Amino acid sequence: MTKRERMLFAFSVVISAALCVPKRACAMHIMEGYLPPAYCIVWGAVCIPFLAAGVIAIRHLVEEKRRSLLILAMAGAFVFVISSLKIPSVTGSCSHMTGTGLAAILFGVPATAILGIIVLIFQAILLAHGGLTTLGANTFSMAIAGPIVSVLLYKLLRKTKLSQNICVFAAAFLGDLFTYCVTSVQLALAYPSPTGGIAASALEFLGVFAPTQLPLAVIEGLLTMVIVIGLQTYAKPELREIGFLKGDA
Amino acid sequence: MYLTVILTVFVLWSLFTGLCPTPLLAVICLAGAGFLLLFGHHSHGSILPIDRYAQQSHLAAYNPAGKAALSVILLVLCLCSRHPLPPFLLFLTLSCVTVLIGGLHLHEYFSLLSLPAVFVLLSGLALVWDAGTSADAVVSFGWFVITEAGQRTARLVIARALGAVSCLFFLSLSTPMPEILSVLRRLHVPKVVIELAVLIYRYLFVLLSVYGNMNHAAASRLGYDGVRRSIRTTGQVYGNLLASSLRRAGAYLDAMESRCYDGEIRFLEEHKPLCPMQVLFSVLITGAMAASVALTAA
Repeated sequence: MTKRERMLFAFSVVISAALCVPKRACAMHIMEGYLPPAYCIVWGAVCIPFLAAGVIAIRHLVEEKRRSLLILAMAGAFVFVISSLKIPSVTGSCSHMTGTGLAAILFGVPATAILGIIVLIFQAILLAHGGLTTLGANTFSMAIAGPIVSVLLYKLLRKTKLSQNICVFAAAFLGDLFTYCVTSVQLALAYPSPTGGIAASALEFLGVFAPTQLPLAVIEGLLTMVIVIGLQTYAKPELREIGFLKGDA
Repeated sequence: MYLTVILTVFVLWSLFTGLCPTPLLAVICLAGAGFLLLFGHHSHGSILPIDRYAQQSHLAAYNPAGKAALSVILLVLCLCSRHPLPPFLLFLTLSCVTVLIGGLHLHEYFSLLSLPAVFVLLSGLALVWDAGTSADAVVSFGWFVITEAGQRTARLVIARALGAVSCLFFLSLSTPMPEILSVLRRLHVPKVVIELAVLIYRYLFVLLSVYGNMNHAAASRLGYDGVRRSIRTTGQVYGNLLASSLRRAGAYLDAMESRCYDGEIRFLEEHKPLCPMQVLFSVLITGAMAASVALTAA
């Protein structure tokens, strides 16, 4: 760890300590049966083009290099594993990371959409996080909207002179935050407040989940950063194979 | 834990206040709190408990496609309900089926249920309480009010969520993952996706056990001492896990290719025919649910 990284850690810990309240945080999925039928169908439909693009992208990838199917499967299993494990948060409550920011940075948006929907089905069935009827909405927020923000931000920031670590942190942090905002808006669209309409309801959902989600996003960003640092130390050949590192790096 | 109990009591109170007399309200709140105190611990002890329960369930012998179809139909009916009663009854029925016929311990069922319960509680809070002033407020506290319309939506949403979760549990606690995937395969989900899903399911257990070893190694070297160090350790463990899993992927490909892998994975399925009992049960419960939804809608 360099001095700058240590400072970043200290800074983040202060932030999360300030924001965290003792509450149990779950990965931010809309639970089974929470959305009315029309919204389930609409969000599912929104995801279809992305999923189709994902299937096509993966098919091409696999035809080109058979190895990439296994690498993608490993990545999917990894995303599931880290999203089902406790990560340390300040007050000993348990929270989970989404891991899709990392997958998006490493594998691109279309592949992440497919990995994301598979992981979400597994989470619904094996962990009772999220659900089958809310699969469309959750896929959109976690496996499409968040990753798009992460990837765009990462590419944009890489053009500037910022170090790669900061880019990774920012991409994962804001991707996670955006996922949470999209989820709140999805909830608000389905259940607008009787007095204030959709905007008021969105603010309410944002407010209710903010104490758990803000520190979580910070920790997600940090962890993603440390993971990428670790990968660059131990797994350069593999990173080059999936196209994350170019040539000489 | 205690925070969750207080939250539950508060949400229950917000839901039913103004609807029923105070003693009944107190009973409902106390029942909710006692229920959580008894069963509501969130355990991360064993690896993927739902998968193990599904393999052990007495319902595992029935036809997987039939079970999947039944739970999807019930899910849809549950979501279409306009009254909280049918989903709540569905919740009770399916919970009884899963626990009594499936042979799962009540205690384990409820501790699984406590997970989605937190989401219900937090978002229930946002549904019931409303910012701003309103003429027909049941309770008002500063800028926040409870309206009767808000209560009604919240009750409906929470009942629907409970019913839907019980449908999901009925499927996931009785049908092992490979069988669900084989149902999806027969529904013509793209082959690449199914292959990916099967591989991911297998690698899950490999990665979880590797992670367990790494976690023990890190913990025995005091890697999780203090917040700062534990974040750093977690990140490094995850990074290592990803690196080793990418490396494993290479080894697995070599193993598969030496066994004539040609870009397609073929699967062997155990044949589990539909039995009359299952058909009868499915028809009965679907009919009852459809009738009750139709009756309460009218």
